[in-house]
Amino acid sequence: MPRPFLFCPKRRYMQINFTRYLVLLGFSLALLASAQGAPQSGGDFSSNPDAKKLPTNTILVKGAWSSASDSATPLPETGKVAQSVYTNPYFGLTYSFSPDWTEKYSGPPPSDSGYYVLAQIRPANTSKGTSRGSILITAQDLFFTLTPATSALELVNFTTANLSTDYQVEQPPAEVRIAGHSFVRFSYVSPVAQLHWTVLATQIRCHAVQFVVTSRETNLIETVIQEMNRMSLPNDANPTSGMGGSDLPVCIKDYVTGENVTERVDPILTERRFNPVPVRIVIDKEGKVKHIHFLSAFPEQAAVVTDALWQWRFKPYILDGHPVEVETGIMFGHPPRATTPRTTRVATE
Amino acid sequence: MKIVKLGLILAILAAFIVPAIARAQSDPGVRPGAINGQSGATATNPLPLPSVLQNNPAGSLEFFQNGLTRFQAVESVSNSPTGNSGLGPRFNLNQCSGCHSQPSIGGSSPASNLEFQVIANGVVSGSTNSIPSFLSSNGPTREARFPFFFNSNGSPNTNAPNGGVEDLFTVSGRSDAGNCSLPQPSFSTAQQTNNIIFRIPTPVFGAGLIENIDDSTLLANHSAQASNNFGIGGTFNHNGNDGTIARFGWKAQNKSLVLFSGEAYNVEMGISNEIFGQDRPLPGEDQLGSGLPSSCLNLSGTGYPEDITNFSPTVSSSDSFAQNASINSDVVAFAEFMRMLAPPIPSSTTPGGATSISNGRALFNSIGCATCHTPTINSTQPSNITSSLGRSPVSAFSDIEIHHMGTGLTDNVSQGGAGGDQFRTAPLWGLGQRIFFLHDGRTSNLLSAIEAHQSSGSEATQVEENFDALSPSQQQDLLNFLRSL
Repeated sequence: MPRPFLFCPKRRYMQINFTRYLVLLGFSLALLASAQGAPQSGGDFSSNPDAKKLPTNTILVKGAWSSASDSATPLPETGKVAQSVYTNPYFGLTYSFSPDWTEKYSGPPPSDSGYYVLAQIRPANTSKGTSRGSILITAQDLFFTLTPATSALELVNFTTANLSTDYQVEQPPAEVRIAGHSFVRFSYVSPVAQLHWTVLATQIRCHAVQFVVTSRETNLIETVIQEMNRMSLPNDANPTSGMGGSDLPVCIKDYVTGENVTERVDPILTERRFNPVPVRIVIDKEGKVKHIHFLSAFPEQAAVVTDALWQWRFKPYILDGHPVEVETGIMFGHPPRATTPRTTRVATE
Repeated sequence: MKIVKLGLILAILAAFIVPAIARAQSDPGVRPGAINGQSGATATNPLPLPSVLQNNPAGSLEFFQNGLTRFQAVESVSNSPTGNSGLGPRFNLNQCSGCHSQPSIGGSSPASNLEFQVIANGVVSGSTNSIPSFLSSNGPTREARFPFFFNSNGSPNTNAPNGGVEDLFTVSGRSDAGNCSLPQPSFSTAQQTNNIIFRIPTPVFGAGLIENIDDSTLLANHSAQASNNFGIGGTFNHNGNDGTIARFGWKAQNKSLVLFSGEAYNVEMGISNEIFGQDRPLPGEDQLGSGLPSSCLNLSGTGYPEDITNFSPTVSSSDSFAQNASINSDVVAFAEFMRMLAPPIPSSTTPGGATSISNGRALFNSIGCATCHTPTINSTQPSNITSSLGRSPVSAFSDIEIHHMGTGLTDNVSQGGAGGDQFRTAPLWGLGQRIFFLHDGRTSNLLSAIEAHQSSGSEATQVEENFDALSPSQQQDLLNFLRSL
């Protein structure tokens, strides 16, 4: 007798249950459809005509790159050109150049051997094929250089000694005064290109800071150099001994050795990478790490090394009877490479 | 009266502009004459290394020829009468030499784009495939990549980097592809959202020499260039397994020629092999959990991998070397071909004459091009394969390093240790007879390619600035030199 059964309370209960099942089934099917459709909308397939566009000419995917433990402390690479003035708070450098020169393109990130392109300045009216000259401002971190040099002077001397046969030396390295500071000046020419280069180098905070002026016109180069006398630099800028100090940390190579380190927690880098990770740290007067600057590191490397470095403790560095801040370099990751270059290139080819 | 004035102005302008244009430097274009500068080379018969040409060691020439033949084989999905089954289910083209053919087999993108002709040539079904708009009949052969996955609303998701190859075509609709039904990726949407980049084939002439440079030699060259005054840094990409320097591909992401050919066979042609043993889904199909549908698997009917080492010779020749060569898998045969392929020989006179080329070479060195495009690396390690590969200079005009190339060239694809804007210094040997330049083949004009080296974030900006400082005739000499390579 099925009929009475249709009207019984139990039947009503089953109807409710059945409705629930239908609703649940509907949801499940919708979810299933959504799950199956995921690749069609979220992977290599998309049909939304109003989708957001990516910016063009923008580096979104960075490899090993520079970073720091805070955004307020000046870094070598954060100098700027504005209104014909190049200002670099890290180096304490202000360089006012000719108002008809400008920077069109910013430089690449620091290399993993500590080489910086700080600014590239050229006449604003440069049109294609008619460049009159350029000023390239670079810095080489002397803690990480691949060149066997411990000072800006040695770096310039090495460059001179290893100058390709494509060039002729016009002025060998010699000390000059620029804006009241000592620089080493070195000039050479490419006879075939009829291009002249003058390098002016000094040392600031254990970096060889170089101004490379290039032009076909030697008088233009001299004018540029004359205008450099308007530059302001820190007191200790010197091709052989620019080591910071005063209001700045004292820079010391290989400070992280022996009894200088009182507590050390080694970072555990879990990702297999093969890149050098050069790091500059500032140690405060109490021996704690105050600032960390990665010249080149993948983000996960920077995070792990940062966590470890905050736990390091150092013996305070005493200068003239007083503790002072120290800036030094540490290489993590891939072991540093040989710094004695072999001549492998056939230069005249 | 106005017309007279206008005519006068135009005449004056013409008097100044026309001579200027006539003087202006220009790309001489693809160098005519001997293919790769080699006497005896043809478009379908590139020359092997000198020692291989002399069949030293015995059998090497047979292996080279075998690899060359297989490099030209047309692949089918199934039932190939020549045994070349396994194409797809997704692919870019059905023949290595279809893309690597300028100026001869082993080269780069040809003048006539076979990818554009796949429907007309019956390689794919026109009812299930369309030709993406970024291909053209006389444009470069290309592979496409989406730097980022799309999110659910169809926008590129910058938190989800992709960068894998999005194969252009599917086998769906081919008579030898059964019921496999696959759509092409959303190329038009990717273009609308700027979420697509392209790569063209790298030429493989002289690749065996590049493969045989010891890491220590590359590192020493890197150190030797470190004191340059051009703003150039550079670093190396590394193989993820053993940590040594990788060297093939636009970002130096591949360590060896076997790996290079194995990846290409799988990614560009959809053929599984002893290095990449499965049919390859698109990155989205793989990483979002679906994979390829079962109806598109094992289409060849052979099982996996589709390309294998043969346990016995596949030819009935009485020549034992021919029998030996036939035992190789296709991937190994391709690698043998590339490894023994001779590098191009530059011309000393064309274009522009010997003086111009010589001058251009000196200018190339002087303004800094040679810092990255190292003219010659001395030299390869001893070779256990053939004498031409050992103790040889490598005049590839590359340091095999990866360099930041800035916002103008970035493709936002990371491969190994290379970031989105880092590229291997492209070897320039053979440049004189290439048609398309830069990683995506965006230009056929050498002058434009040089100018593209300059942008924010590029290590080459200062060198390009130095190029701009040259006189038009000097620039012409440099262009002539490059086209002589």
